[in-house]
Amino acid sequence: MTTAEFSLAGIVLLPLLASAVAVLLGSRVRAVLGILTALLICGLCTAVLIQTAAGGITELALGGYEAPLGIRLRADGLSALFLCLSAVVGTVVSAHAAILPASAGHPGFWPLWLGCWSGLNAVFVSGDLFNTYVGLELVGLTAVALVALGGRDSWMPALRYLFVAVLGSLLFLVGVGLILAAAGTLDMEQAAQQLAETPEAHAAAVFALCLMSVGLVLKLALMPMHRWLIPAHAGAPGAVSPLLSALVIKAALFVILRLWLWVMPLDATTEAETGLAEGLSTALTALAWTLGGFGALAVILGSVMALRQDRLKPLVAYSTVAQVGYWFLFLPLLLDPEAGALEGQPGTTLAEDAVLSGALSGSVALALGHGVAKAGLFLAAGLLKELWGTDEIESLRGAGRRHPLLILSMGLCAVGLIGLPISLGFTGKWHLATSAVAAEHWWIIAVLVLGTLLSAGYLLRGIAPLLLQDAKDPQDQEHDAAQDADASAESPRRQRLAEVPAFVLGLLTVLTGFLAVGIDALMGVGAPW
Amino acid sequence: MEVFAGEGAALWYLLLGSLVAVAGTVRLLLARDLLARLVAMNVVGIGSLLVLLSLGARAESAAPDPVLSALVITGLVITVAFTGLGAVLIRRIEGIHDAEHAPDQAADGDQISSGQNSSEQDSSSTEGGRDS
Repeated sequence: MTTAEFSLAGIVLLPLLASAVAVLLGSRVRAVLGILTALLICGLCTAVLIQTAAGGITELALGGYEAPLGIRLRADGLSALFLCLSAVVGTVVSAHAAILPASAGHPGFWPLWLGCWSGLNAVFVSGDLFNTYVGLELVGLTAVALVALGGRDSWMPALRYLFVAVLGSLLFLVGVGLILAAAGTLDMEQAAQQLAETPEAHAAAVFALCLMSVGLVLKLALMPMHRWLIPAHAGAPGAVSPLLSALVIKAALFVILRLWLWVMPLDATTEAETGLAEGLSTALTALAWTLGGFGALAVILGSVMALRQDRLKPLVAYSTVAQVGYWFLFLPLLLDPEAGALEGQPGTTLAEDAVLSGALSGSVALALGHGVAKAGLFLAAGLLKELWGTDEIESLRGAGRRHPLLILSMGLCAVGLIGLPISLGFTGKWHLATSAVAAEHWWIIAVLVLGTLLSAGYLLRGIAPLLLQDAKDPQDQEHDAAQDADASAESPRRQRLAEVPAFVLGLLTVLTGFLAVGIDALMGVGAPW
Repeated sequence: MEVFAGEGAALWYLLLGSLVAVAGTVRLLLARDLLARLVAMNVVGIGSLLVLLSLGARAESAAPDPVLSALVITGLVITVAFTGLGAVLIRRIEGIHDAEHAPDQAADGDQISSGQNSSEQDSSSTEGGRDS
């Protein structure tokens, strides 16, 4: 067993073990255990990343049993990227929760979050659909409980989230059953091979893909199914909202990408000439366009809704709804036979498969960039809410005078969310736009431009008042005095320290833009073409 | 009664499972009462597990597909866990509701009346969710 293979198992089992141990410990020791686990996960993740960056796919058959009987863990480029996201964001947010225990809501945070982390990593390295399902359920169950830590106002949103999560999982489970019945195996690689070879199984596979996509989209809160996300993400404790927005919904996104690009025999269904396959390819194209259309709707309507918010955390939550839309825009490109028409033609510099791989790595870069930036923004918004007792933008006016570092980090995160150059958000939008132009899908450009303008609008509307300082009237001074009294009651140094994790995420938002080339290279490891 | 045996029976169960799942989904989305929604969630669960079982029984061989049965058992366990967590949440939400409507009764019994109390209740819910 090599180091990378060992890490692959460790990355899933270590947080699970830590979660079980944390239940037995006191609340202070839990935080120490959480930080230790986070650091170990970072180390293990680095080992997997090094192996993947060298061009190798890490595989491990647990207990030595090979698929289809055994459980196989597998990490390719896509897995490595999402693992790194969960390691980085998870560690920084854990540090925040350890510095400021109040932001976690309750000591129950630690076992739940470590369990959630284990589920996330399990989804990212799972080689078969069944483990993916179990991982998703672990994530869903712990995420619902994490939302409920926010106190009595968050119980109702948590319950709503629970209903949506279960409905989504059951749809996914039926889809898994259909694929098993059609392909005879749960292992993704083997199922993909089997489906490509047996055209008569395609009908079941396409139907399964429809069910699974709907189920996962429910968990991802794509536009018409987004209502549950706002109260759940806005009402969760300060350290939980960033985890939900940055990581938990990414698990569902990851599975959607895996299904559409790795498991489905898209080439076979689009290129076959029998009547049945033609009908199926129409159905698939319709599904892709529906999801892409919902994505466009989410980008625009979600941003407009964000513009109308008066409170900071719901604004950030609506911004998540808007950003989710970007990740679905590339789906119609996948099934468009004309998409790659310009590839290799004289007069262009497009290589083989450049359009699809560009669109995919653009979408992945957008998702990763969103993860880091949104975690930072939610962390900062949660901290402001904690310190000021409210997240109404109007009452937070001039907060920048007291918390300059915090507002600076919010600004940096906003750069990433708007997609200004050198952030990962910019790289993602650039790749996606380039592919859209090459495939002559101009509507994507329109959505990207409109979404960017609107996101700049709502983020400025949320952050600018924090920097403005009015001429003081006596009431404000009283308010400030009360704030000072509050601040001295708790430990002010601890509060200052608590601003650092958000700032780290803000810096990472901008700095990860330099890693964009690495993302392209990593996406090439184990790519579906 | 040829249709109720072998592959025909599997098809009937497939149809029945889908019907149950769809009926449960409709109720889950439309009902207002929280407990009714929790029950509807379980009905959806039973319906979809029935679909999975009938898919397993449809195979040509005499014995049903064991992997699909394993899927069903896992699905059952997970649904139970979610139901437990949902039940705890509903009890607390209704607890707040009762406390608001009958303030004097809320002081005794296990209703939630104060902030500290609620955080204690939180721990029991999270532990309960994990145990199940």
